Amino acid sequence: MKQGIRFGLAALLALTLTSTALAKKVEITWWHAMSGSRLKVVEAIVDGFNAAHPEIQLNALYTGKYAETLTKYVAAYRTGTAPNLVQVYEVGTQTMLDSGAIVPVYKIPGMLGQEWDWAQYVIPITNYYSTNGNLWSMPFNSSTAMLYYNKDLFAKAGLDPNKPPRTWKEVEEYGKKLVQSGVVDHALSFGWPGWVFEQMFAYHNQLFADHKNGRAGRAEKVLFNGPFGQMVLETWARLAKENVFLYGGPEYSANTAFVGGQIAMLIQSTSSLAGITKGAGFKVGTTFLPRFEGYPRGNSVIGGGSLWVTKGQSKEELAAVWEFLKYLAREDVAVRWHKGTGYFPTVNNAVQALLSEGWFSKDQNYLTAFLQILSGRRDTPAATGVRLGPFVQIREIERAAIEKAVSGKLSPMRALDEAAAKANQLLAQYNKLH
Amino acid sequence: MIEERFPGHPILPYLLILPSLAVIFVFLIVPFAQSVWGSFYVTSFFGDTRVFVGLSNYLDLFKSPDYLHSVAVTLFFSAFVVLVGLSASLGIALLLNQKISGLGIYQIALVWTYSISPAVAGVIWALLFAPATGLIPWLVKLVNPGYTLNWMTNGALALFVVSLAATWKMLGYNIVFFLAGLQNIPDELTDAARVDGAGPWLAFRHITFPMLSPTTTFLLFMNMLYAFFQVFGLIDIMTQGGPGNATNLLVYNLYRDAFIHLDSGRANAQSVIIFIVIAVAAMLQLRAATRKAAYAR
Repeated sequence: MKQGIRFGLAALLALTLTSTALAKKVEITWWHAMSGSRLKVVEAIVDGFNAAHPEIQLNALYTGKYAETLTKYVAAYRTGTAPNLVQVYEVGTQTMLDSGAIVPVYKIPGMLGQEWDWAQYVIPITNYYSTNGNLWSMPFNSSTAMLYYNKDLFAKAGLDPNKPPRTWKEVEEYGKKLVQSGVVDHALSFGWPGWVFEQMFAYHNQLFADHKNGRAGRAEKVLFNGPFGQMVLETWARLAKENVFLYGGPEYSANTAFVGGQIAMLIQSTSSLAGITKGAGFKVGTTFLPRFEGYPRGNSVIGGGSLWVTKGQSKEELAAVWEFLKYLAREDVAVRWHKGTGYFPTVNNAVQALLSEGWFSKDQNYLTAFLQILSGRRDTPAATGVRLGPFVQIREIERAAIEKAVSGKLSPMRALDEAAAKANQLLAQYNKLH
Repeated sequence: MIEERFPGHPILPYLLILPSLAVIFVFLIVPFAQSVWGSFYVTSFFGDTRVFVGLSNYLDLFKSPDYLHSVAVTLFFSAFVVLVGLSASLGIALLLNQKISGLGIYQIALVWTYSISPAVAGVIWALLFAPATGLIPWLVKLVNPGYTLNWMTNGALALFVVSLAATWKMLGYNIVFFLAGLQNIPDELTDAARVDGAGPWLAFRHITFPMLSPTTTFLLFMNMLYAFFQVFGLIDIMTQGGPGNATNLLVYNLYRDAFIHLDSGRANAQSVIIFIVIAVAAMLQLRAATRKAAYAR
């Protein structure tokens, strides 16, 4: 009996000891929107981080698509149960900036009494998420758009598979050749139509909205219904009429047609590269986005998502979150992220490591988009990309305008004017509230 | 009146229904009142700013051509689902009610559509109509070379395909109820009609159809609710409301404003409007149905 009591007491003591040890472990939560094959890479990175930091317990939670994750985050923030870290898509950037719910990442090292070298990140990526030269959210999954083409179909149509089109004029010319030779019924399609439309503005250094693309102050008016936007949409509508362009719907729905060899060219996010390479039964070529001749050069815009840190956490939690953000910048982690997903490696060390091991020469398609953003200009707001409050809605409005114009339901000019009026109304409402 | 059934316990009946009243109050009345209240405000994305705007959310909606377009699309869609769906499933149910061999297989083959999720149904139809890789555009091209059937740009076609998919999905449900209704019709009635010299059409017109009217009324109501509220998954998977808002049903528009744009004032106003439309339609239907339906046997 006495033995029993002693044993019980010992057990109790052990329990309290371990629980205080457990309590010392800082627990932090991260909500993200990475599903499918990306989820596995995220899980591997999180496991690696937890193993390397026994004093921290990072719980990563898939909370649905980007829009759903943001909705949940807002709901949680309102009730005071927000996670420490959240992944938000690039169109949510202005909303997050205006939310008052976050700590800008550039302030975190100072708050913890640490130093951090911000220049180690790839500049065009950090530019996108910076305000007045300071980084507000940590770049995580960054991509841009590029042109994919089917080398086999090019050869079949009598085109040089190593000379993809560089301009929209060449896209039209090659496209007609591909269609007329009977190799395909349509030559070109693209995903994320609104985003590709935005890309064209930045790629030719044209402003998409006033107040320097919403980067010098909140945008009040969109500029996409000006002569440049009309010219872009007129070109697309003409290509559609000539059967060169086949409108393929939102997001990734056009990918099947390209992988199935029904079209020969596809403008799509670089994050589709791994999937397309795996699925295609032909030689995949990639190149820079086509240009409109006679317009200035800009840069292609960064898309994807970044990580935002919630305001009002304890210093221990903030320190743990910062540890994780630093961990993501580690060379091996960034390399693993890039290889597993096709997203850009965000730190320069990782780029060098990939280069040294011959990763890019094994499949130079992984280098295309990278060279595209590094060779473009980065000193103008127009080339950095637009920032809008109600960006999610406005991108939907752009898509509706593109659909109306390429189907011939409205003239490009009228479709854009209609869209701009709606977008301006949304901007006015947003600015009234913030 | 109820008190008479509980002699000596005047409060007891009220006490007994209190739990269900409480549930209705907490989960239906309160949120609805909050919706009505919220529809008078404009709220920022993070909910930190809230401005009273009176009826302007409603006025904005009725002034917005997009919203009126969405109303028109929804009316077409629900009319299609109800009319085409009910007539097709009644026809199929009549065929399935014959005494033929292998009936069980046919019944299962026609009823299973109900058991698949809206998302899966959406994927099936989206793949069938995929402009470059789908079966239907391929068949169209065989008949009409050089023409590409593209529902991603053709709004009328997209609305038709979405309506068709929604109707198809509800077919199994309707058939089950029609079959049950048909099997409840006593054979004597149809036999008597046959003896009197009525052909199949006359027997259907004067006996089967009137005897089915309780089932038909029920299905009319269920299909309308389905067309208004339960097609979100289908639209989200197939078109996301596009092309050019051609398939932007009221409930999808509401979802986008509430959960993607987080514009709660506008979304609240929309939910109140949908509620009123459904309530009025339900009242009209019930009134017409109780007058016409042959419940007595």
